[in-house]
Amino acid sequence: MPKKKTSPTVPLIETQSLTKSYFSEELETPVLHGIDLTISEEEFVSIMGPSGSGKSTLMHILGFLDQPTTGKYLFRGEPTRTMTDDELAAIRATRVSFVFQAFNLLPRTTVLDNVMLPLLYHPTIPASERVERSMNAIKSVDLEDRALYYTNQLSGGQQQRVAIARALVTSPDVIFADEPTGNLDSKSGNQVMEVLQDLHDEGGRTIILVTHEQSTAAHAKRIIHLLDGNVSSDTKQFTQINAKKNNNLKK
Amino acid sequence: MHINDTVQASYKAVTAHRMRSVLTMLGIIIGVGSVVLLVSVGRSFERYVLDQVESFSSHLIEIYPTGFEKFGRSLDSLSFSDYEAVTQLSTVESVAPVIFVTEKVVYGTEEISPMVFGTTNKFFANYSLNLEQGRLLNESDIKGARSVAVLGYQAAIDLFGDRDPLGERIRVGKRFYTVVGTMETIGSALLQDLDTPVYVPFTTAKAQTGQKYLSYMTMKASIDDDNLVVADITSLLRQRHGIENIDNDYDKDDFRARSASQATEIVGSVGLGLTIFIGLIGGISLIVGGIGIMNIMLVSVTERTREIGLRKALGATRQDILRQFLIEAVALTMIGGVIGIVGGASLGALIAAVASKFVGTVPFVLSIPALLAAALMALATGLIFGIFPARKAASLSPMEAIRWEG
Repeated sequence: MPKKKTSPTVPLIETQSLTKSYFSEELETPVLHGIDLTISEEEFVSIMGPSGSGKSTLMHILGFLDQPTTGKYLFRGEPTRTMTDDELAAIRATRVSFVFQAFNLLPRTTVLDNVMLPLLYHPTIPASERVERSMNAIKSVDLEDRALYYTNQLSGGQQQRVAIARALVTSPDVIFADEPTGNLDSKSGNQVMEVLQDLHDEGGRTIILVTHEQSTAAHAKRIIHLLDGNVSSDTKQFTQINAKKNNNLKK
Repeated sequence: MHINDTVQASYKAVTAHRMRSVLTMLGIIIGVGSVVLLVSVGRSFERYVLDQVESFSSHLIEIYPTGFEKFGRSLDSLSFSDYEAVTQLSTVESVAPVIFVTEKVVYGTEEISPMVFGTTNKFFANYSLNLEQGRLLNESDIKGARSVAVLGYQAAIDLFGDRDPLGERIRVGKRFYTVVGTMETIGSALLQDLDTPVYVPFTTAKAQTGQKYLSYMTMKASIDDDNLVVADITSLLRQRHGIENIDNDYDKDDFRARSASQATEIVGSVGLGLTIFIGLIGGISLIVGGIGIMNIMLVSVTERTREIGLRKALGATRQDILRQFLIEAVALTMIGGVIGIVGGASLGALIAAVASKFVGTVPFVLSIPALLAAALMALATGLIFGIFPARKAASLSPMEAIRWEG
């Protein structure tokens, strides 16, 4: 197991008393009740909890898809509450990326075009580098021979790997994976987890994995348990599952 | 997002759903196509009518009596001395008097009821009528009030069929005339009535009918401005007839002078009215087409909610999404507009070509202003009816959009 590198003085992600409530016709439904979290660069963290625990809501806030109701969210020490829609869009374009449970690839579109999609919205990466960067990302998930296939011609596991390539292509600070194995059989799920572990162990990527399954969560190095909108535990004391070993066993 | 990328994304969306795109465009294609088709066909036929009228009537002016007929008597306000006076005007030339002989024309067992014009040889020049064989009426026919006749093309066929009419004697009422010439056909379906008359000398017609007044007069303007000549004639005849008419109310006159170009102006103004009317109908169909576009775009926004959410999650701004959907709507309407223009114009050209086979040359007139207006309307339709769905798409929350199950 590779040793954790030097911890930066400013954490990548820091929340202080973060709350989130949904409002419908005067009715307030609190989902998060004051979350205090710190996640550093190059961590591989699982956010785990049963449905309704607020884990997805927390991921949306941390991924700049949603804003907290109260509390602070500091990204690299920068407060994010006052950011405009366009600033949030710019952060999503450059700093974070997502792997979704339902893959969310564009149908009738090639693997290459799908992976290239985030680069269209990237403010600084020049258009001339798009294909090369995308091909590199596709190679890193072992799908270079499928680059010109339409995504609907691929298996679920392959589609999720395309989605991971798409998440890699902008070299973001953090990758959010929301139930990435939820729509996959155990074998494909395992392969996807192997890719994610490789990205962290060998690529040094920061990954935040959101799941309700202990067996999936245990692929990370740290598990944050959420229950009813509160952090119920935050631990590194567990046996990490090695996806590569599992894959080899299954073969 | 760079505009090129936006255009490409829109292009991909349009081509990825070909069937839907074509159906969406159909309203615009039909709207634009029908405007272009109807306006071009209208303009072509207007041009056709004007060409026909102008070909035989450049600078043609006619004077005819007006008012109520009195107990079966014809209108008698145009006198022979009026004719003499009009001839003296410096602004007119080639004045031809006309007396109608309302009698049947008989040859052997054939009997027809044509217009019988008692006139002079100037008449033929005024209407650009050409001789086919024999001769026209000449000065000595007029002076001697000879009983000679020239047959219009159709009159010659109706009376003589394949036989040679020259030198034959026909009967007009109780009087016999010798046929000295026949006319060429006008060769126009629109003006085929000009082929049917029989022409006899003015003096002979006057003697036969005993008529003391003219049925009408025809002449050419000798200056360019026909309206000036008409005004000249009108004031001369008002003076001669003792009519005071400072407000130029034609109902007070007992005659009317009119140029053929005035007639063509009437055709033109009717054509313009028709064009505006057609344009309005086309405009309505474009609005209907636009609502269709809006409808499909709204469906498309709903259907692609997850895609929009994804694009936003990947960093697309409101602007990016707004532009993408707007460009998509405009692309649909513009492609539809181009297809409509090409289709409408082609169909118009085809109709003109087919019509030419039956009624003589119908020139195909492609109205450029109508084309531009149709293209602009298509563009405006895309913008107006695209903005609402595009705004809806742009304002979707990325988090809700990406979780949307539809």
